[in-house]
Amino acid sequence: MDAVSKSHVFPSPIGESVTRVDALEKVTGEAKFTDDLQFGAGLLYGRVVRSPHPHAIIKRVDVSRALALPGVRAAVTGEDSDDHIGLYLKDRYIFCRDRVRFVGDPVAGVIAVSESIADEACRLVEVEYEVLEPVLDPLQGVQERAPLLHPDLGEYVVADFIDPKPGTNIANHFKVRKGDVEAAWSKCDVIVECDFRVPHVQHVPLETHVAVARVDQTGKIILWSSSQSPFAQRNLIAEALNMSQSDIRVIAPYVGGGFGSKAGVSVEGTAVVMARKVPGHPVKMRLTREEEFYCAFVRQGLIARTKVGAKADGEILAMKTEYYWDAGAYTEYGVNITRASGYSSTGPYRIPNVHADSYCVYTNHPVGGPMRGFGMPEIHWGIEQIMDMVADELGMDKVAFRLKNCLRGGDKNVTGMTMHPIGLAECIEKASKAINWGEKALASAPHKRRGKGLAIMWKAPAMPPNAGSSAWVRFNEDATVSLGIGGQEIGQGSFTVATQMAAATLGVPLDWIQISAPVDTKYSPYEWQTVASRLTWSMGNAIVQAAQDARRQILDIVAAYWDEDPNDLDVKDGQVISFKSENTLPLKDMVVYGLPLPDDQGWHGGPIIGHGNFMPTYITSLDNETGQGQRAVVHYTTGCQAVDLEVDTENGQIHLLRVASAFDVGKAINPDQVRAQMEGGVVQGASTAILESLQLKDGVPQNPSFRDYRIATSVDIPDEIIPIIVEVPQDDGPWGARGVGEHPMVPTAPAIANAVAAALGVRILEMPLTPEKVFLAIQEKLGEA
Amino acid sequence: MATHKISFTVNGIRETAEVPSNMTLLTLLRERLAITGTKRGCDTGECGACTVLMNAEPVNSCLVLAVEIDGADIVTVEGLAQDGQLDPLQEAIIQHTGVQCGFCTPGILIAARALLDRNSKPSRREIKDALRGNLCRCTGYTRIIDAIQEAAEVGG
Amino acid sequence: MNLPHPGLPSFDYIRAQTLEQVVSLLLKHPTDVRLFMGGTDIFVQMRDGLLEPKTLVDVKHLPGMTTIEFAPDVGLRLGAATSMNAVAQHQAVVENYPLLAEAANTVASYQLRNRATVGGNLCNASPAADTAPAILVLEASLIAFGPSGERSIPAEKFFLGPGESAFNQGELLTRIDIPLLPKGCHGRYLKLGRNAGGDLALVGVAVLGYPDETVDSGYRFRVALASIAPTPIRALKAEEILAGKSITDETLQQASDAAMDAAEPIDDVRASARYRKAMVRALTRRALSEVWAMLLEEN
Repeated sequence: MDAVSKSHVFPSPIGESVTRVDALEKVTGEAKFTDDLQFGAGLLYGRVVRSPHPHAIIKRVDVSRALALPGVRAAVTGEDSDDHIGLYLKDRYIFCRDRVRFVGDPVAGVIAVSESIADEACRLVEVEYEVLEPVLDPLQGVQERAPLLHPDLGEYVVADFIDPKPGTNIANHFKVRKGDVEAAWSKCDVIVECDFRVPHVQHVPLETHVAVARVDQTGKIILWSSSQSPFAQRNLIAEALNMSQSDIRVIAPYVGGGFGSKAGVSVEGTAVVMARKVPGHPVKMRLTREEEFYCAFVRQGLIARTKVGAKADGEILAMKTEYYWDAGAYTEYGVNITRASGYSSTGPYRIPNVHADSYCVYTNHPVGGPMRGFGMPEIHWGIEQIMDMVADELGMDKVAFRLKNCLRGGDKNVTGMTMHPIGLAECIEKASKAINWGEKALASAPHKRRGKGLAIMWKAPAMPPNAGSSAWVRFNEDATVSLGIGGQEIGQGSFTVATQMAAATLGVPLDWIQISAPVDTKYSPYEWQTVASRLTWSMGNAIVQAAQDARRQILDIVAAYWDEDPNDLDVKDGQVISFKSENTLPLKDMVVYGLPLPDDQGWHGGPIIGHGNFMPTYITSLDNETGQGQRAVVHYTTGCQAVDLEVDTENGQIHLLRVASAFDVGKAINPDQVRAQMEGGVVQGASTAILESLQLKDGVPQNPSFRDYRIATSVDIPDEIIPIIVEVPQDDGPWGARGVGEHPMVPTAPAIANAVAAALGVRILEMPLTPEKVFLAIQEKLGEA
Repeated sequence: MATHKISFTVNGIRETAEVPSNMTLLTLLRERLAITGTKRGCDTGECGACTVLMNAEPVNSCLVLAVEIDGADIVTVEGLAQDGQLDPLQEAIIQHTGVQCGFCTPGILIAARALLDRNSKPSRREIKDALRGNLCRCTGYTRIIDAIQEAAEVGG
Repeated sequence: MNLPHPGLPSFDYIRAQTLEQVVSLLLKHPTDVRLFMGGTDIFVQMRDGLLEPKTLVDVKHLPGMTTIEFAPDVGLRLGAATSMNAVAQHQAVVENYPLLAEAANTVASYQLRNRATVGGNLCNASPAADTAPAILVLEASLIAFGPSGERSIPAEKFFLGPGESAFNQGELLTRIDIPLLPKGCHGRYLKLGRNAGGDLALVGVAVLGYPDETVDSGYRFRVALASIAPTPIRALKAEEILAGKSITDETLQQASDAAMDAAEPIDDVRASARYRKAMVRALTRRALSEVWAMLLEEN
């Protein structure tokens, strides 16, 4: 791949903003999502009985009245699945067996001929609880006397890079001990200490979770689900049910928004356990919008205690951080979020002395899971604000401060890893320039205040060191191509860039390639998960390898046919051509049927099929005590967002005028799609920054509906979003590409907070920046004056 | 529960059905007629994914009872393209990359179609206002608004 | 935790044929029968399990329910089941009662307003109802039909509490009558939501102003507030101030303060009482300034 990063000529259609391959289906209503699939007369519906208490012992579950209701076929309880399930830490039962740990925890399920009968029957299930004292705050949860939510923590199967503390509510403790912060403080001219708070927010995909499971008479399972992770779902469910992966088949149609909520296993397990009770019948389980708010993954809450010290010339010397994650009832996914956050806790800065503790704390809150950014939005909220505060103390321009301290290629970062080349400084320069940083801009009215702020970020794909991708390429008789992949199209455009990469490598027109969708674990090649912004890079490498494999076979066969050297041949526009002899041959003449040997001796070749895979080989572990290691992650995507806004001091409303969003993507395979991700990320980030929090009172969500959990609508968007693509190639990415799906929503909230602070002289330390919060902060400041 | 015989058209095709009182138009379309382009996002009239035209006006089909559409003409996203020709809005939203996950797209196209039918040259402000009942979590709306503006310009 | 049903619960739908039939059903089955027009509030409440009627009676097809009539010597007569969009787009409303159109247009979304009705918004009697402040300052009358025939309820007597209206058993809303407005009338409805549009009102303020030689200031204002008390209210003290002395910045400020004092909002998941009170003052101030500017321009 060396030649790639040096090459300035990219084969078509790499780097071209081709039309999305799924757009036509989606605008005509033809595209099928899981709830669109038709299952015929045998379809049954499952509904789940859920705990109304945040923490309780289950004393008794009685499903008899439910079973007696006409139309009910079966019921399940925790008795029906006895193994734990989980991705990085198996701490969860599919249906609770002895204890419930959050409001919404599944206790029983009822299967019936209609959704309404199943729902009615659920209300007839009798559950007796013994209510226990809940843990509602991670600071409470780490206290010695706090109720113990997982007494069996020591017995859970856990990934070897996670460090739980049995006997406590700490599911993972990640540490960084680098240099000597205590000694460094005395050398600092400026020290700022501040605590930041981030509430739970929700992914809010437009399509709620839905899964249909069918178990046949031999126990084999088919699961149709709106899923980012068909292979991981197959794997986790197989492990939980003690089955072979080959006896579970997951089919994953288009996903109507995931943002991480449809990674791993959340509701799919309940569908499978229910389906086992009614062999031969598909059982559909879909969440209402309210259930989506109550029971689907939430983004973890965070209390971040942060301290940064710098010299008068602006050089950051030391940083100390304590993260207390409100991780929720189960941390099977959250433990890795807290790890990734620990090893990212400095933000993209060069800091020689670092002391960080990231505590993943069980609470009786909804289950914290992966949400776009995987801990990065949560931690950058505080990091980018405290950096602004340090710059303020130094009297230093905030862009200059960041340019002085930001990581560049060759720097050692917080884990001791040497940074690969990155374009972060370029992102900072371009984003700040785009909003005329440094130019004082006037407010549009006397009661408004205008301010500019920025925030930078970094993120690496957080995944096991051996997360793999694979792909195959197969020709049809007319030389059109089936491209087999295991990565999902969740809106980010993966199918389109996959098609582009295959077309470029094979040498065929773009529209000759079709993705073999829906992803189906029975037929599709393995893909770890569609998360971590990893597909363009990881799956892309697999696709390129598969296409190269096919191409090599083709050239070998045609070269033999022409009695030439394969190195003199190429495939262009669906034709094999020879540079030497100028012979040409359409692919369709040989991709299935081969070519005849001379002198009527027979045939040579056959159906062309290429395969490829990719798995990073160089991730090293991190020392348990110091968090140091040679290569913690595969690579980082970095970027910067700059915000120009106005605040209406009469009501606290924020109006976003301009948001510039610059990210180093290595190589934009499809620039328009990259820009679209940046725009969507800005709006989702701004929405979480200004509008969103799941309000919990005694563990009960108070706003579990669109009426009271507001998200950005068309009238809430910035006046102007300026997406900026920076390209510093990734050495092992296809044509230098790395991912960008998550990153555009990471710096938005702190950039807005920094701009508000610039506008008002008031800094708000807890998200969201609702109009009420901003207004009351202004009042408080005026009161002090 | 009472049932009712209704007759109506969907995308120009005459249909009849016998429906229980509590069936919504959304459920009738998706689960009785298997016309699944229109989506269910919230069932409370907040997200707009279920928007269809009823007698040429956009409505949240999750809040219309099936029995109420007796005699009505319903148009869903599947009815926008005519004789294999895409509606200019569909063309424009493709060209502007205004589609990502696609779940909000059918509702948005219907709401936009209704907007252009009642206001052929909407301002950007008017477009945003007309769409505020259609939630999108992926695109950030800008390209959708651009697409509608362009479709309006070409006389769509 | 209150998990709504995954769909509407069971009920029987009846399409009403006559007013008398509806009255009779209401009297015979006071708790089991519920009337509906747009359904946009009722269906949501039923799905939430807050209402469990056995029968839903659709009254929007009764004669006159969707009629909008304007007579230049009488005023506006709105059928109870006129949709918000139909009201907001009707020429007579746009020309003669733009405040009502403005209020209706702040509700939710265009597609919801095709079904939601002004009458339903009022009958639901939420203290946050967006059309309520307009109806109050327009001094409308709500026409009910019941066992004793037709009855006119002045808007100021209509709202009794959250979800409680002045209907007697067996009565339904058939019409909203809005009288002609005094000459030179101008109005604004301002609403504060959590996001920039389509939200429920955290605070709603309607202001109407017109020249009136009979009062000291030469102008009469009507001010109504939503979402800050158990019912929507007129801010009478504020109105007194605006009638009593010449209109200056200070008068407007004092009136806004009085409006704030008249508000008794609660803390809820949407906003705090403290913020709501402050916003009553801010929105009232803004609405008054804008109406005052329009009045000055006219004269």
